[in-house]
Amino acid sequence: MFRKERYLLLLVLIFALVGCSSEKGEKVADDELGELAPSFTVLTATPEENYITYEAMKMISEEWKKLGVDVTVQPMDFHAKVDRLWAPDERDYDAFTIGYSGRVERLDPDMFTYTIFHSSLAGPGGSNTTGLVNEEYDKYSKDQRHEMDPEKRRDLVFKAQEILADEVPVVSLYSNTLVHAYNHERFNELPAMAGEGVFNEWMPTEAEPLTDDKWLKIGGIQDLDTLNPIAAKSVFDWRQLRQIYDKLVRLNPQIEPVPSAAANWEVVNDKTIDVFLRPNMTFHDGKPVTVEDVKFSYEFMDKWNDGYLQAFLEPIESIELLGGETIRFHLTEAYAPFITATLTQIPILPKHIWEKVEGNPLDFANLEPIGSGPFVFEYWRRGEELKVSRNPDYYNNINVDGYIYRVYGQPEAVLSALRTGEIDTHADRLISAHIQQAENIEHISTIEVADIGFEYLGLNLRRAPFDNEAFRQALALTIDYDTILDVYLEGYGTKGGPGLVIQPANEFWHNPAAHQPIFDPKKARDILREAGYNWDSEGKLRLPVN
Amino acid sequence: MVSFIVKRFIQSLITLLVVATLIFFMFRLMPGDMTAALIDPSIAKEARDQVIKQYGLDQSIWSQYLIFLQDLLKFDFGQSFYYKRSTLAVLSDKFLATIILMFSSMVVAYGFGVFGGALIAWKRGSFLDLFWTTFALIFRSAPTFWVGLLAIYVFSVTLGWLPHSGIRSPGYDAKHSFDLFFSVDFLRHLLLPTIVTGLFYLATPLLLMRNTMIDVLGEDYIEMARAKGLRERRILFHHAMRNALLPVVTAGALFIGSALGGQVMIEYVFSWPGLGQEMILAAQRHDYPLAQTAFLLMAGLIMMMNVFADIIYAFLDPRITYK
Repeated sequence: MFRKERYLLLLVLIFALVGCSSEKGEKVADDELGELAPSFTVLTATPEENYITYEAMKMISEEWKKLGVDVTVQPMDFHAKVDRLWAPDERDYDAFTIGYSGRVERLDPDMFTYTIFHSSLAGPGGSNTTGLVNEEYDKYSKDQRHEMDPEKRRDLVFKAQEILADEVPVVSLYSNTLVHAYNHERFNELPAMAGEGVFNEWMPTEAEPLTDDKWLKIGGIQDLDTLNPIAAKSVFDWRQLRQIYDKLVRLNPQIEPVPSAAANWEVVNDKTIDVFLRPNMTFHDGKPVTVEDVKFSYEFMDKWNDGYLQAFLEPIESIELLGGETIRFHLTEAYAPFITATLTQIPILPKHIWEKVEGNPLDFANLEPIGSGPFVFEYWRRGEELKVSRNPDYYNNINVDGYIYRVYGQPEAVLSALRTGEIDTHADRLISAHIQQAENIEHISTIEVADIGFEYLGLNLRRAPFDNEAFRQALALTIDYDTILDVYLEGYGTKGGPGLVIQPANEFWHNPAAHQPIFDPKKARDILREAGYNWDSEGKLRLPVN
Repeated sequence: MVSFIVKRFIQSLITLLVVATLIFFMFRLMPGDMTAALIDPSIAKEARDQVIKQYGLDQSIWSQYLIFLQDLLKFDFGQSFYYKRSTLAVLSDKFLATIILMFSSMVVAYGFGVFGGALIAWKRGSFLDLFWTTFALIFRSAPTFWVGLLAIYVFSVTLGWLPHSGIRSPGYDAKHSFDLFFSVDFLRHLLLPTIVTGLFYLATPLLLMRNTMIDVLGEDYIEMARAKGLRERRILFHHAMRNALLPVVTAGALFIGSALGGQVMIEYVFSWPGLGQEMILAAQRHDYPLAQTAFLLMAGLIMMMNVFADIIYAFLDPRITYK
């Protein structure tokens, strides 16, 4: 008995030794290989801030370890991370995960092609965090800004997306699906909009009440911060203020610019745009809306707004009134987003009120906002609710008597309010834990719409090992986009991909040919091997010898 | 008496100064700075530098500290970075809502606690004693947010008796500002969070009262009162309870401070637009002036209540004299 076991042990030992030595024999000795691929740290989200990204990054790093890469994943407080990424003096990070929210002006491709990747913005503090420098790319991303013909501009944006998919300065991880609930016993299906969800700028005017109570009640977690449109800086301010203050142009749910306070517009040439004001409009205090008010608003905003809208006003050289209802904008250079991002965002202010504001208008509380938009301000109880009523003189039909926006402490309270009928719909998307619960409520239906914002992994191309294109491509191939979507997002989202910044939901600008969410670790190894990378006896990745 | 109050007042001022210093440096030790919360990351470096300069954040931390102290002496609490309004104005919006909830839950907790505690001490060992002690301890140990959620589920969602959140019904049309806080609608909203908070705080006065009462009941003068043939009720309320109240008063004074901070959870669950949420946001946004003011107000209030408790002592216990 004992002897038998001893033989067995010996045999196993021999086989093991033979196995080891034969493997060693086929490989090149470690010291002939290139240097070890440098280890790096990924700054990622804390689980409290974004559980999905946190989990996804853990999974991705396991794949990278299998590839022989030494990676550390470090969750970091959001503000501290933002501070590090956009630090004014240096670019001290290897890789990071962060997200861009799907604001409406980001439907225009300028932000995601030019602002975050052009080489001129790669210096410290600039918005090009990955440090992509590619001459060909610079050309496309700059030219699209100047191309006023949408079809031709789209070709340029498509080219830019192809380069991004190849260069892989970022790998987008996923994009959320926005799920919203509404009370179908009280309202017809509400219009949803990509990136904006249900509380888009059309919903309050287009909502159709089914009962005699024509007050629409909307719940949300975020209160607005200010009623002053010049000082407003967050999307939470704007989604209310744009109902009180009208704009020249609005983007319709199909993301096309349509006339609003402007009856029409005409592109005279690359640098000259004429806007014709809609006649017979009045502010909520009864005073008429004139071309003077429009000119004043744009100039006043340009003078005082110190952040959010500044970038969209910069290309305006001067504003000329041609008599009648015509306003002529002279631009310093051709700027394609002018109609889709500038005219759609600047609010029309009543000159007779704002020219009388003393001191810095940014400090003006504007507690009784007067605009010319579809809704008239009633009251705002900070942290509690905002009430606006229908503007009877508005040029478009409005079906509701007004809306009440109510602030809740957390998503759970919003769901309870939907359940008890205290609110009809809500501003922020449902968290995935609540989707099923909402669907089970008898008087509630849900609407799904894609987001144009996304969560992504950014690589600092200024540093090794990310300075090698093949390495970046290989990393993108080791990300399991399906698991992220199916498991972590429970199916409520869309897949990411290498260099994917313009999401599929943004149909007109998204280049489907450049979208490659492929998970193939074997191919990743092939790409690395072809580029001269190798693996040592411990399976660690070695840089190419040159 | 007067000299005692003056002395205590000066002591409080010194303590406040120390607290202010701690708060000042504590917020600046947090990672990241306010520009991250305030500025869109895609904005140019120059714009960001300008904002940093505008708020004086480019100066050394010591000169920032000196400016902070100077302003404090002038009762100037500064402007909120985020709201661009005076910090006191931002906080006063929320302060009233928090104070009302706090006092009403204090009335519930201390009202039931003091009398209940006296009663169960009187009948110690009985079923009543066991029941109330256990009852209070259960609510003391259960997290308030959980009890709050359960209460919402039962009384608001299932039974539909009381509103589940906020302080007024949507679109509540107040005739005047007095009506905003003193109306049936407001009271209906106040009821559920008050009960939940009150139940949480009930254990402290109840058990404190019970224990001191038991001590007091063993004293000679109670025996004496009995010997004099006084009625039980008179002994309980007039002789025993008054003497057992002392530690409860201290606990009550300290309660104000802890409730101000500890109510964050309740405000969160019931979407109560109070101070708690604002303090968290201020810290997250690195809105130093707002966070500092909020914490200073809290510290000030706690100290004031302590002085107040000291004075009350004298009325309750003639043996205590102020020197």
